[in-house]
Amino acid sequence: MDLQLETEQTILAESADRMLSETYNFRDRHSDMSDPSAWQDDIWRQFAEMGWLALPFTEEEGGLGAGMLEISVLMEAFGRNLVTEPYLTTVVLAGGLIAAIGTPEQRADTLPAIGRGELRIAFMGGAAGNASVEAKASGNGYQLGGARASVIDVPMAGRLLVPARIDGGTGVFLLDCDWPGVTIRPHRTLNGGRAADVELAGVEVPDTALLGGLEDAGDAVETAIDRTITALSADAVGAIARLVEETVEYSKTREQFGRPISKFQVLAHRLVDMKVAEEEARAVTTFAVLSANTNTTTRRRAVSSAKSKVGRAARFVSQSAIQTHGAIGTTAELSIGHYVKRLMIYEVLYGSTAHHTELYAQIIADPDTASAGLLLSPAA
Amino acid sequence: MDLNLAPDDVAFQQKVRAFIEVNLPDDLRRAMDLTTAFLNEPELGYEWHKILHEKGWSVPSWPDEWGGPGWTPVQKYIFDLECARAGAPVYNSQGSRMVGPVLMHFGTQKQKDKYLPRICSGEDYWCQGYSEPGSGSDLASLKTKAEADGDNYIINGQKIWTSFAHKSNHMFALVRTSSEGKRQEGITFILFNMDTPGITIRPIIGNGGDHEFNEVFFDDVRVPKAGRVGEENKGWDVAKYLLEFERGGALVAGRVRAQFAKVVRLIRTRGLIENVHIRTRMGEIGADLDAMEMLDIRLLSVLQSGASPGANSSMLKMRWSSIRQDISELALDAAGEDILRWEPERPLYDALQLPPDEEELLGLAPRYLNYRAYTILGGTNEIQAEILGKHLLGL
Repeated sequence: MDLQLETEQTILAESADRMLSETYNFRDRHSDMSDPSAWQDDIWRQFAEMGWLALPFTEEEGGLGAGMLEISVLMEAFGRNLVTEPYLTTVVLAGGLIAAIGTPEQRADTLPAIGRGELRIAFMGGAAGNASVEAKASGNGYQLGGARASVIDVPMAGRLLVPARIDGGTGVFLLDCDWPGVTIRPHRTLNGGRAADVELAGVEVPDTALLGGLEDAGDAVETAIDRTITALSADAVGAIARLVEETVEYSKTREQFGRPISKFQVLAHRLVDMKVAEEEARAVTTFAVLSANTNTTTRRRAVSSAKSKVGRAARFVSQSAIQTHGAIGTTAELSIGHYVKRLMIYEVLYGSTAHHTELYAQIIADPDTASAGLLLSPAA
Repeated sequence: MDLNLAPDDVAFQQKVRAFIEVNLPDDLRRAMDLTTAFLNEPELGYEWHKILHEKGWSVPSWPDEWGGPGWTPVQKYIFDLECARAGAPVYNSQGSRMVGPVLMHFGTQKQKDKYLPRICSGEDYWCQGYSEPGSGSDLASLKTKAEADGDNYIINGQKIWTSFAHKSNHMFALVRTSSEGKRQEGITFILFNMDTPGITIRPIIGNGGDHEFNEVFFDDVRVPKAGRVGEENKGWDVAKYLLEFERGGALVAGRVRAQFAKVVRLIRTRGLIENVHIRTRMGEIGADLDAMEMLDIRLLSVLQSGASPGANSSMLKMRWSSIRQDISELALDAAGEDILRWEPERPLYDALQLPPDEEELLGLAPRYLNYRAYTILGGTNEIQAEILGKHLLGL
């Protein structure tokens, strides 16, 4: 039992934060966000050069064999720096799912290219178990039909992973975005990112497009989404941490009535409450990270616990940060609002705060689960 | 980084669990289940303390020189966890967690020899004379006076919120021996017998109906100077040491989780899993508790590595006190109209002879009311916020 980061992980955290804050000067990004199709290719290439795009893949696939902990360290740096590049969807979700259940050919065809920065893949789904597409057998392959609004990161992607209902199970298909029948209507998202409404109408796909040839990959999809939520929660912790830092800093420098406003007890206590919320969010995210490879029940409990808790912490810290900044906190010019919007997106992706509180409640309603502590016996 | 217990610690956990399973009597478990006060009755705690003492486990955090079992921080944590899970009572934490460490650090050999074995065995029950009607959060403003008279002090004044003063045979107190200089510089730490003439105890009944707290009045109470710990007028340093020392002892996730599991069972029994409000609050509180336990484990990890816990114990106190209240509130909501019925006699386990689920209901409103004190006693949450503001945020 040990909750201290190792040296390599600390180095990754610091170097990532440094590189990103230099690259991602806030003012530059702010001016860039008016163009919904603008795409910063050079930043993605930098990610590839840093090895980040290949981080979780095996060495045979050109990767660095890193685990959930390293991913979460990197994601926290992304959250701190308002990164909108599609790392989560391409590397963690799509890459993770293909690595888990793809055939050797499917893996060879995608993972090295992702690692080199040449391929991005979006995921046409949200919370687990909510496939919007149906697949019917058609010739030697399948025909897909369905639609989903606001699929994030599609405009930057060349391919699409599509979870689809097949005869009561869930299969996952890998499509090219320009295949016949695929319609993509891009739009801006709340936080300056990109998404698209995607429609599949009679899209014919070969059987090699079915990931792992599995007509029921529901468990693997749930696992991949759980890992994605865990990584995204680390991102949220980074954003929450920056909100706390900036609000504390602001309070110490902004003077009214002849003193820094941090001297007023109501504000000082609010800052403390924000800091406590940040620490809780980080703590429960660590729980999810460390539970990523345990049994399903523990993993599910930890992930939904994190999504519920971090979502509530995010909202509280967001509102408090704006309030403490006074009027300027409500403007688009300040970075505060941009962290707030990023956290609003966090709350709704892959299942809302309420959705995960509900999932968590169903798990914790078992008294044995409720009473068991979080320290694991090695057998668990 | 991992949450895995080392194989030795797993074996330790199993050993402790087995011991408790065999040796904790059912009637003590029931009595703890029905305990609505902050602290359980001393008689209850003493029953279990004697059993632990025979095993050599009665003072888990003490060095083996004074009867401690020589456990690591993780093993202590596991022991507390298993006791909490089994619903074992606690005995005189003021003695083992406050007087003991103070004497080991500041006491004379004579004082250590006299008092420490009796805390270990449980023969002595200690109460704390700190707060006064005019000195709560601002403890340094205390006024209870101790005037030197030969080999004695003569104490005049009043203490308040003294837990189980009416069942204690000793008190440790902060008294004022000088009014010159800064307020903190005139305070002395002293021990004395509760049967000393001139001490009057008046009960304070809480909203929950329990007699736990008291006012203690001192009218020309003559106590030996030999009971003073540390130098005269240096008592504030002793108190500060205790505060720092206690910071390592703030890991209560096990107790809170046991409280939570009981309420989950209650919700199930009453068919209220179907109620979306109750279910949602149960989920939110559970996730809050997971986060809090992770903060506990992180602090444990720091302690295990030998480093100092810093201000994090204030953060833990803020959270576990609020979560305890949230859980008691959830139980109240689950009980609905059943909270109208009130059994006035305390302790409840002596007053009642009902089926367990009926008995349980009678404890919910009293417990909810008593638990409002969690965010007040032991340093109010507002004071904890002041501490965190200074030490964590540099405000």
